[in-house]
Order: sequence, then C-alpha cells, then structure tokens
Amino acid sequence: MISLQFLTTPYPPTPLKPFHSPNTLKPRFPKPYLPTFTVRSVLQWNRKPQLAGETPRVVVITSGKGGVGKTTTTANVGLSLARLGFSVVAIDADVGLRNLDLLLGLENRVNYTVIEVINGDCRLDQALVRDKRWSNFELLCISKPRSKLPMGFGGKALVWLVDALKAREEGCPDFIIIDCPAGIDAGFITAITPANEAVLVTTPDITSLRDADRVIGLLECDGIRDIKMMVNRVRTDMIKGEDMMSVLDVQEMLGLALLGVIPEDTEVIRSTNRGYPLVLNNPPTLAGLAFEQAAWRLVEQDSMKAVLMEEEPKKRGFFSFFGG
Amino acid sequence: MPSHVQELRVEFASSYRRFNCTRRFSPSQKFALGAIDGSASSSCQEQSSQDKAVKNEIDTLNFKDPVRKLQATISSLPPIVFAMRRHVGSNFAIGLCIATAFLVMAVRIYMVRKSRYSRPGSVADLVRRGQLRSDRRGISRPLKYDDPFNNPLVKVGKSNTTVEMCGKVYRLAPVTLTEEEQTIHKRRRSRAYQWKRPTIFLKEGDFVPPNVDPDTVRWIPANHPFATTASDIDEDLAQNNVYQQHGVPFRIQAEHDALQRKLEALQNDQKLNKLVIDSSNAKDFERAFKSHSKPLEHGEESFSNDHVGNSKSSSSEQPPNSFGSAASSEEMQKP
Repeated sequence: MISLQFLTTPYPPTPLKPFHSPNTLKPRFPKPYLPTFTVRSVLQWNRKPQLAGETPRVVVITSGKGGVGKTTTTANVGLSLARLGFSVVAIDADVGLRNLDLLLGLENRVNYTVIEVINGDCRLDQALVRDKRWSNFELLCISKPRSKLPMGFGGKALVWLVDALKAREEGCPDFIIIDCPAGIDAGFITAITPANEAVLVTTPDITSLRDADRVIGLLECDGIRDIKMMVNRVRTDMIKGEDMMSVLDVQEMLGLALLGVIPEDTEVIRSTNRGYPLVLNNPPTLAGLAFEQAAWRLVEQDSMKAVLMEEEPKKRGFFSFFGG
Repeated sequence: MPSHVQELRVEFASSYRRFNCTRRFSPSQKFALGAIDGSASSSCQEQSSQDKAVKNEIDTLNFKDPVRKLQATISSLPPIVFAMRRHVGSNFAIGLCIATAFLVMAVRIYMVRKSRYSRPGSVADLVRRGQLRSDRRGISRPLKYDDPFNNPLVKVGKSNTTVEMCGKVYRLAPVTLTEEEQTIHKRRRSRAYQWKRPTIFLKEGDFVPPNVDPDTVRWIPANHPFATTASDIDEDLAQNNVYQQHGVPFRIQAEHDALQRKLEALQNDQKLNKLVIDSSNAKDFERAFKSHSKPLEHGEESFSNDHVGNSKSSSSEQPPNSFGSAASSEEMQKP
C-alpha cells in the first residue's frame, strides 16, 4: 500500500525514503547550507504532495459494476484532497440515483442542480454546495431524484460546466472529480466526456473485473490515457486463505497502475450512514488512511510500488509478557 | 474627705496602672507614692494640702515635662533585639498577606484571561463543552496535515518489507507490472472493444439527421426513466445559462418579465373598461394612457405611476383604483 521507491530509485533506501515520492515537496534553499536530517524532520509533519499536471484535473471515478464503491471513493478522495489544501469540485453525475450528497452529509443543502442551471432557474454558483467542514470542497449534483436530464446535449453540458468552473472569479479549482453512474449507458457517456483522467474502482471478484475491463476498453477508445485503478474491499485474511484474488492478481488481469488498495473496513458503512466521510474520522481508520494515501498519489500522479499482502503476527517485545 | 481620697486613689490607681504598664519607677514617683502611703495617719487639712501637692506633682509629671516623659518612654522600651524577637510573628503575618495578595492577583489575571477565550458561544467554548470537535473545524485551529505515509498509525519496517498500519503488521510485496505488460493489455482491449463515443442522443424511432455518423448515435429508449432527449431549451441558451456568473438567471428574468407584461396588460384592460363604464372622466384616462403608451418596456415604475395617477384622478369622483376593482371589472368582462 505504501508507494515504496526502492525498486525504482537509484539511491539506496533509507527508513524515510519510502514516504517520499520523486516529486515530493523539496526544500527550495540550496542543499549545502542545510543538513539533510533537518529537512526531513521538518517535512515529516507538514509535508504536502506536489500537484502534478495542469489544473483543473478532471478525474472521472468509474467502474462498470454497481456497488463497488465509486461514490465512497469520490467522497473520501475528494475530501482528502480538500484536506491537503486543494480546491475540489465533486460532481455527482449519477442522473437518477445520486448518493454523493448523502455520503457527504450535504443532502439537506442541495437546492439546485445542473438541470436548474441549464434551464436558467439559477446560476452555477448557486448550485454549488460548499462543505462547511472544508470550505475548499464543493458539491454539484446533476439532477434531483426523479427529474429527467435532457440528454439531447449529451456530455456537452458537463464540458460547459468544466469551462464555467475554469472561468470562475474565485479561480479555477484544482480538481474536478466526477462520480460516474454504474453501467455504460448514457449517464456513463455523459460523465466521461469532460474527463482527462480516470480512476477505475473495482473489487477483487470476477464479475467486477469483467465489467472493469470493458469500461477500461471504452475509456481507452475514448482517448482517456491516464487510467489508474483502485482495488476496494480487500480482505487480507481471505487472500491468505486463497479465497480472494490478491491485488497483484487483479493487476495482472487488468494491466493497470495501482492508485490505491482499500481494505475492507466496517467503518465504511458507519461513516456512510452518518454522512461523515472516513477520512475525517479521528482516530483514523484503516480504510480512511488508505483513501488518504490514494489521494496523495492522485495529486502527484504517482502509483503504488508495493502492496499489502497478508497480515503478519506482530513481533512481541521483551516486555510483552507484562502487557508492554 | 473620703471622696477626695477616693478621687485621688482613683487617679493614682490610673496613673499607677500606667506606671505599672511601663514597669519603671522614677525617684519622684516613689516620693509621690510615699506621700500617698503616709497620708492615712495625718489630719484632714494636711491631707488635703498634701493631696493637692501630690496632684500637682502628678500633673507636672504627666503634662508639664514632656522631655522627661519622652525619656521615660524611651527608657521603658525594650532593647531592639527583644523587640525583633517579639515581632517575628507579625512579620510572618505581613508576608503572608503580601503573598496572598499576589496570589489573588495572579488568580484574577488567570481568570480574566481564561474568560477571554471562553466566551459563551465562542468556538473555544463550544469545543470545551463538547458541542464541536476541534479537529474537525478549520477555523478553531490552523490546519496541520498529518502525513498519511508517516504517522503514529502507519510505520514502515526497517527493511521496507513490512508495514504496520493501525496496530497490524502487513507484509509488503513489490508491484511487478511492467510497461510492456500494460501495452499488451491496451492492445488486447483495443482489439476487443471497438467503440466510438456517441455524440448524439436520439429517441428510439427518431430519424438519423443527415451528415451524422450512425456510429456516434446513442439510442435512448423512449421509456428511459431518468434521461430524456426532448429539451424545451435550445443549446446556445443552455450554454449561456451555464456560463452566467452574475445577475438574475435567465428563466427567473423571463418569468418576471412575463408577469410584468401580464400585469400591465391587466392595467390597460382595466383602464379601457373604466373608460367604457365611466365616460365622464374619459379625458383624464386618455391622457394617462397616452403618457404611458409604452408600458411593455417600463417596469414597476410605470405601474406605480399609473397607480398614483389613477388614485389622484379618481380621488375626487371615483373610488380608488385597486386590485379589487380590477377583479370586479374582470368579472364583469368575463360573461
């Protein structure tokens, strides 16, 4: 799960090196004046990922199959990015079955959607719902439940939206994350239209993998080159018992770079029901940490170099007998 | 006689008490005392004269010789060492008072400072009372991001082959996917999935427009629950609506204008009706109508002017022009 660099980096590994990806924040002052250890001690706490690529980065989060965790990923990665200080607009492109607002706990604040914006009932800035916890995170829903989106415009409406967000007075957002509906229908086509990179969410089971492969094929045909995958709901105990495909198996089947591996966590359901994304939990949870790491890699356009395999028995200390 | 004696004795007693206090006797005092002691055996007159003498003596002692009195006082004071020894207790008390005062001051300053930060309803106060969680708010504390790769819950082992997350140790395995494998997969998929993104959505049964590649048409079933191909708004207008950053949204403006137009039309109708009904002040109405002959461009201004003009004109002869009257006129008109 940690993006280890020892396979690719020319310099020898040190205990701290694995945390630093090549384009991590570097000290700007010349090196000879500052000992290396001082820099590290500074960076350990306030380190931030360095944004790679041009803004706004329009990322579509998709999967062929439903229920694999697209919306959960959108909410958590989006809020992680906001926590990291980037301005984020999350677009719930699920026309009929939107849920992102529920996961974020913003369902009572959605008054206007993109349909109203297109119809001229409100302006775009009125339809954007700003999260009060992280003010650089905004939610935009495509439509209200049971309302119909005029598909006559196709994906043009979303392209206009991205253009309008670019031209905003308060500045262009760093990330526009689009939560794609399941399937490869009109909703999928609409959602992927403005994207220039994609995150494919899948679970380690064959049904999900088949759909994922198809979706990757469509995305590649559409010209989206930067596709990474997130393997969700991984259970190391089942992998160990060979009841579940390992992450490396999944990767071998799909041939995609890994953005993150999210372990199965009961906290996900709890956070969904509370409308409080995992990454804001304190103390952090296993899945929350994995989402944060994935968000970090997304910012740096990095991918995983090593994955978690199975749980090892923890080495007991000398004083473990006394409960130490 | 006894009264004098008693008086003297009382006086003496008081002076004696004073002397007793000082615990020192001068020779003159001894003389006075001796005179008093011997007075019991002498006659009354002698006694009275003696008494007077003693009285004078005492008077001189008390009031007329301050120098001696001062000397007596000084001599009556104990040496400094003894005095210091005697005041050890009182010094301690003074010290205690000062310390207490300082303590009170410090406590007061502390309380004032504390109350400054915990005003009822302030963020700090809400956090203290558990209404808010400080770590979930950006404003109560500056955001300090903790590194997801290096924090107390995520630790990588020394050999980089294990990682400890949330108290569990996991073995790490390096990713083995190579660039060649990725390109092989891409090639496989491009062969398997020939796809062109549809750019036109048509309802099933519609005709394909000319100069449109049939591959790029997406057919949407007529009973699709959430998508519709029909739109009552044209594309340019929709695009303008999305791009609009300021001002009143298009539809709100349009509805407002339509309402305005309707209202003004209603006004005009009403005037004409009035004209028909009441021909006595037709000229006034005509003038008013002419002055506001382009009501479609005017907003509420014209409406209010109209209203004022009407009320002015009708105040003398007619009931004021109101919505009630308008409604009645409409009602009259309808049948």
